Parts: sequence; structure tokens; C-alpha cells
Amino acid sequence: MSMSPNYTPDDGDWICEACACPLEQQKVQVFYLESAFDVSLPACPRCKRILIPKSLAEGKMLEVEALLEDK
Amino acid sequence: MDQAKLREIEARCTQEAMPRCRARCPLRMDVRAFMEHMADGKLREARKVLELHLPVPEIMARICDHPCEDHCLRRDLGGSLAIGALEAFCIGNADKQSKSFPRAPKAVSIAVLGNGLAGLVVAFELSRKAYPVTIFHEGEAHGTLLQRFSSLAQEHVAREYEGLLKAGCTVTERVLDAALLEKARSGFTAVFVDADAAAGLFAGLGAAPDPATGFVTGNICAGGMLAQSPTGALYASSSKQASEGRRSAVTLERLVTGVSLTAERGAELTRETPLHTPLDGVMPKAPVLPQGDAYLPEEAMQEAARCIRCECLACVRECVYLQKYGGYPRTYARQIYNNASIVKGGHLANALINGCMLCGQCTELCPERFSMAELCLSARQDMVTRGYMPASAHEFALEDMESANSETCALFMGDPGGKKTVYAFFPGCQLAASRGEQVLATYEFLHDALPSGEGVGLFLSCCGVPAHWAGSEEKFQSGLARIRAEWERAGRPTLIMACASCLKTFGEAAPGIPTVSLWAMLDGHLMDMPTKPAEKTYCIHDPCAARHDEAWQKAVRSLAAKCGVSLEEPRRTGMETACCGYGGLMWNAQPELAAVAARHKADALDKPALASCIMCRDRLVASGKECLHLLDILPFSKTDDGSKAALAAPPGLSARRANRAALAGRVRVTYLGGTALSVTYRVTMAPELLVELERKHILREDVERSVLAIEAAGARFCERRSGHYVGSWRPRRVTFWVRYSANADGTYVLHDAWCHRMTVPDAGRPGSLP
Repeated sequence: MSMSPNYTPDDGDWICEACACPLEQQKVQVFYLESAFDVSLPACPRCKRILIPKSLAEGKMLEVEALLEDK
Repeated sequence: MDQAKLREIEARCTQEAMPRCRARCPLRMDVRAFMEHMADGKLREARKVLELHLPVPEIMARICDHPCEDHCLRRDLGGSLAIGALEAFCIGNADKQSKSFPRAPKAVSIAVLGNGLAGLVVAFELSRKAYPVTIFHEGEAHGTLLQRFSSLAQEHVAREYEGLLKAGCTVTERVLDAALLEKARSGFTAVFVDADAAAGLFAGLGAAPDPATGFVTGNICAGGMLAQSPTGALYASSSKQASEGRRSAVTLERLVTGVSLTAERGAELTRETPLHTPLDGVMPKAPVLPQGDAYLPEEAMQEAARCIRCECLACVRECVYLQKYGGYPRTYARQIYNNASIVKGGHLANALINGCMLCGQCTELCPERFSMAELCLSARQDMVTRGYMPASAHEFALEDMESANSETCALFMGDPGGKKTVYAFFPGCQLAASRGEQVLATYEFLHDALPSGEGVGLFLSCCGVPAHWAGSEEKFQSGLARIRAEWERAGRPTLIMACASCLKTFGEAAPGIPTVSLWAMLDGHLMDMPTKPAEKTYCIHDPCAARHDEAWQKAVRSLAAKCGVSLEEPRRTGMETACCGYGGLMWNAQPELAAVAARHKADALDKPALASCIMCRDRLVASGKECLHLLDILPFSKTDDGSKAALAAPPGLSARRANRAALAGRVRVTYLGGTALSVTYRVTMAPELLVELERKHILREDVERSVLAIEAAGARFCERRSGHYVGSWRPRRVTFWVRYSANADGTYVLHDAWCHRMTVPDAGRPGSLP
């Protein structure tokens, strides 16, 4: 099972308001039920906070969650 | 569940059992499959079925005495199918389909003494498996069968002999006498004596063949005896002779290979079948007879199309859940067993297990009382115990249950006048969520109408059945313990229940707590009034949880009559009623299927409906059906305009939770001296957006708390062109994301929200900013 590696924001020009930094794609790990996946997600380069786009949450993530729950 | 238990469960679904035609056929001809191809005009496919099941098919299909026809279920619905004639038509109008491949002959030898039908069948069956067979006969080889079965022509017999020779048989003319038998016995590995064509030899054997195996003695089998009619006349039954030949062929093979002659052979003589075929809706159809001497292709198709295609599916026909997975209880039992047994790989039956409404309709419709509910419920309990129940299946519903049982929504109130609380009204969490006003009106009515010495309390709580349905027995039992403790503290009142599921749950799991349905209470004691002339007619919809509760069903009908409502009964009513899609948490685990279930139920009701369960009512209305709840027509709780009430949209998931809290709040203010609590939201959204979010199980409360948490932490992303903010919050095993704008007055407008269960470091923790 794999999640395609690179997910950008669904739209627009995003910044982390607290750090006033434009978001950059950053490699992170997401976890579910003892499985981990490396993906590249929009993140604040300073505070490292991650943005999960809606299309990812309701697309591939949902699909992988269902697969892992039935594993 | 172990293998033995699985087989016991599987055996109770008869769908895979043989139809009667096949069970009655000594050769086990698959008549149903044959008829299906014939009705479709697929003669070659039909012939393949014949060749698969009938020995010497060129002969057998023309001379079969078809005992199947006497047992055809069409017999009393127009007349039995012309099975024999259609088989003869097929064999005469389609070319041979099977091919034989040369195989090295086995190092044994079989002698067949006599070339009657049984003898030829033995030769056919064994030569196909590369056993070298020698057929000994007297006189002209083809003549024996031609004399015995007058409908046969030389060419038909010749074709089968040709096939036997190709398969390695030797056909030898000899006098069939004792000397030959002796020679065969010592010179061949095994011997078959045809009781019809070698009657003298058969008589000289001195022992009758065993009916189950055809075994006589030593290395000898025999078969093909004449049958006796009820009047004592002897005749050759082709199906009987051929089947004796086939059974002897099995025995001869076992003899030469040293296998037990009798092991695993009990089923060969069975003529009964447990298959249940519902005939409701099957209209009589007269036989299609050939206009000339034999069937024309069109006539044969029409006659074959009369086949009922016997099968059960009594439960599957009525249940959208059983239909969804493409099988039937027997196959589902196997899948559920495998789901629990696998060591590695996916649990492929999780959805099957969690999709069932646990309503019990299948059990009522099944002549063997197969229970998918029991199967699925025990599988769910097992999954929870072993820790592989998918969180998405029931978690949201269990959170809803916890909310209903929270301090905000749940309460127990003894009789507010200080009298001994003899009764307590238990409306259930969903009536409280949907009809707070009517809950209070009903409570007040009960309080005023019951004798003055009998105090009436109010118990707002969930009965805990969602935990039971989810397979979480521990949660279910702890919920019941909490309820029991409250009930005991209150002086053990009788609970007056407005929800069929609560009533059933308490009856089954807490039998010590006395309960009565609200409807039986009203009808029996408090609304003792005559029936009113009917002003309106509704179609009654019984809740599945009350399918065995005759008192509930009777009281509902009686109360409706007292309110001037006449009721029509749908096709499946009372004990056979279908679930609306709420039961078993289907609404949570598989919402799309639950919507189909509600529509399926709605479609079965010809008129606007009257329900006595609020979830049935709300789900039927959500599916587009006009439906009233019984409280809508009772004098103390009825709504002003019945027709509007029948269409009034049920509250969404967020409103249901808010309504429960509001009801408890009103009770506290009205009876317990509490102060009114007002709920204000700082996040607003379009109503359509909330509907969309609730479909994803995101509630208004989740959104409100997410935005406030994000704002408090200042942990938001900003889209520079639109000015929209996005942030996340993970209060439990779900991360919520909200996209919103801020107003100058400190309120917010929500534009979208989404959620996921996966965890992502540095997302969802607003407080984690450095």
C-alpha cells in the first residue's frame, strides 16, 4: 500500500499566519493503525505546522484508512 | 465459531440444496441449469449440462422415464415441465459438446457381462476414466437396448458404442453363461453383471447386490434389475437401471483401487431435499405442448421458460442488505467465519458484518430460522474483543450515545410532587432528540392521567443498545449498570417506554426492570375511549424491534382507531416488518445502504405512513415518504396540522444532540428549579453546508469548538487572496479541519470542513505552537 508522495494545497496562496511564512512542501510521516507513510505536504518552514488539503483527507487518506481498518 | 458450528449454521440455509427435480433424479441431472439454457435458446450450453450429468447421453436423454416430473413444483401451477421431452429435443438438436482425450489405460481390467443399460453405463463411466473395459454380450450388440427401449433408433445406440470403442472399450460376443462368469471373475480385476441383459447369470449369483453400492461378492457387482410397478408388473426403469450402473461403476473403481466401498456414499440414494422454494407470486402457466410430433425450437424455449428455477432466497428478496453482497446467508456464514480465521491479509467481510441491521426479518422469513443478526452480532463482539473492529464502523454512533448519556442530556427526575415514583417515563434518546415538546406533553399527560397516588418520574437516557449493536458488550453492560443504579435509587419504578428498541433491550438484557410500552399503557388504562369514525387512512409501519411485541402492535392499531385513523397493512407487517436502516447501526456503518433500506421500506407503503418509532418516522420522511409518528395524532400531543407534520423534515445530527440538551434543560428549569442555559454559536454556516458536513459526521459543535480552539492558539493558515483561514483540531480520534472567515464582531463564517482519522505530527494540536 502506498500513498502518492506529494500533496499540494487544493487552491490559493497559503501562509502560516503566526510565522508570516509562505507554506512549503515538506516531507512528513502520517500514521494510522501501526502503519506509517512518507508524504510531502504543505507546511510552515518555521513552525513546521502541516496543512492537510481536503482532497487528500477525503480521497487517498480515507481510502487508506479503510484499507488499514480491514487489514 | 469452530468448523462444526459453521457447518451447523450453514446447514440452516437451504439455498444451495438441490431442487426437487434434481433430488428425485437418480442420476442427479441438473435440470434447473438445463432449463435455464433451454429457455435462453442456448441449446449447446443445455447439451453440455446433459453430457455432464447423464451417462450415455445419446441414449439416456431419449429414454429417461423422468421421475423428476412427478415432483416438479410446477405440477400444481399449470403442470409439470416436460423435462424428458425437452432433454430428448436438446440431444436431437445440438451436436456433441464434450471431447474425449486419449489417456494411457490403467493397469487393471473390468468385465461387463451383458450390454443392457446398466452394463453400458458401467462401461461408459469407467472407460472415461481410462479403465480398460470389456463388454460381453449375446446376439447383435445394438439389439439389446433397441429391443428394451422402443423409442431408441439404431443411430443413437451406434453413436454411444462408437464413443465406448474410442474410449478403449472392447465389445465381444459370447454366450453369457456360468463358465464366462467364472472366467471373468478370475481373469479380470472386477466384474459387473447386468441383471437385465444377463438375467440368467444374475440369478445364478446367489446374492442380491447391495442397494447402495451394487456390490455382490468378491470382485463382483451387479445392477440393472427390473423395477416393479404398484400392481406388481416388472418393467425397465431407465433412470433406475442407469443409476445402478453408475453406483456400481463407483464401487468397481473402489474395488480395483482398494478404497472403502461404502465411505461417504450416503447421499447417493437420498431423494429428499431441504430446499425451500417460496411460491408466492408464481402464477400458474399451462404447459407448452408440441404442435407436431416433437417440439419446435420456439416451443421448447417457451416450455423451458415455465421452469420456476427453484431456489429459496426468501430472506434475500426482502432485504437490501442481503442483496448488496451478492450472496445468501450460507455463503455469508462462510465469509464471516473466514474473516475471523484469517491470519494474514484483509478482513474482507468486515463490511458484511457491520452492514446488517440486526433486525431479524430474515429469521422470520426463513423456514429454518437462519439468523444473520446472531451471526453478525457475535462476529462484531469477536472483532471488538480481538481489537480489529474498524473505528469508522461505529465510533460516531457510540459518541452520540455518550452524548445522550452525558450530564447535559441525561437525567432522572422522580415525581416532582414528591409522591412515590411508581412509574417513570423513558422516552428514549431519539424521541428526546427529535420531539422534545411531545416528550414533555406525554410526560405531563401521564403525570395527570395516572391515579393520584402513583407518582410519575422522567428518565432521559439512552438505553445503550448502540453499544450492543456495535459489539461493545463491555460498554453495553456498563451502561445498563448505570441505568439499573438510577432505577434502584428511584425506588424501582415501572418504566413506560416509547421506543421499541429500548423496550426490547431492557426485556432481553435487564429483565428485572419492569417495563411497559407507552402505547399499551395509554391504550389499556389512560385512553379508554371508543373508536372514532375513520377520517384518514395511513399505512402502518411496525418497528423491527417490536416484531415480536404483539402488545405494542395491538395498542398502536387500537390508539390509531381511537383517533379516527384507519390503517392499511403493508405486505410485510407485524412480525415480518422490515427495518428502516437505523437498526444495527447501519445508519452509521453504511449510510448509503441505510438510505436504500429506508426507501425500500417507504416504497412498500402505499399510503402516507404512520410509525410508532421515531427513527422509523424520521428516516421514512428523509427518504421522501409522508409519515406521522403516533404522537402526532394522539389528543394530548398531536400537532395542529397533520399533513405538515407528516412531511416535517427531521432534525439533523447536530440538532438532535442540541435538542436532547435543550429538553433536559427545560425539565431542569420547569421541574427542578434550574436556570435556563442558552447556547450561542459564534460560527455560522449555510444550512446546506451543515447537511453536507453531517453526512461526513462533522457536527456543528465540532466546527464551533475547532474554530475557537484554533483562534485561541492563533494557529491558523491564511489564504492571501480570499482571506480564508484554515486550521485543525484533534479532540479525539478524528482531526477536524475548518476553513472560515472572521467577522469584525468576533463571529466566524464557516466555508468548509473536513476530517480524517490518520495522525499527522504538527497538525491538529493548536496548542503546540512554540
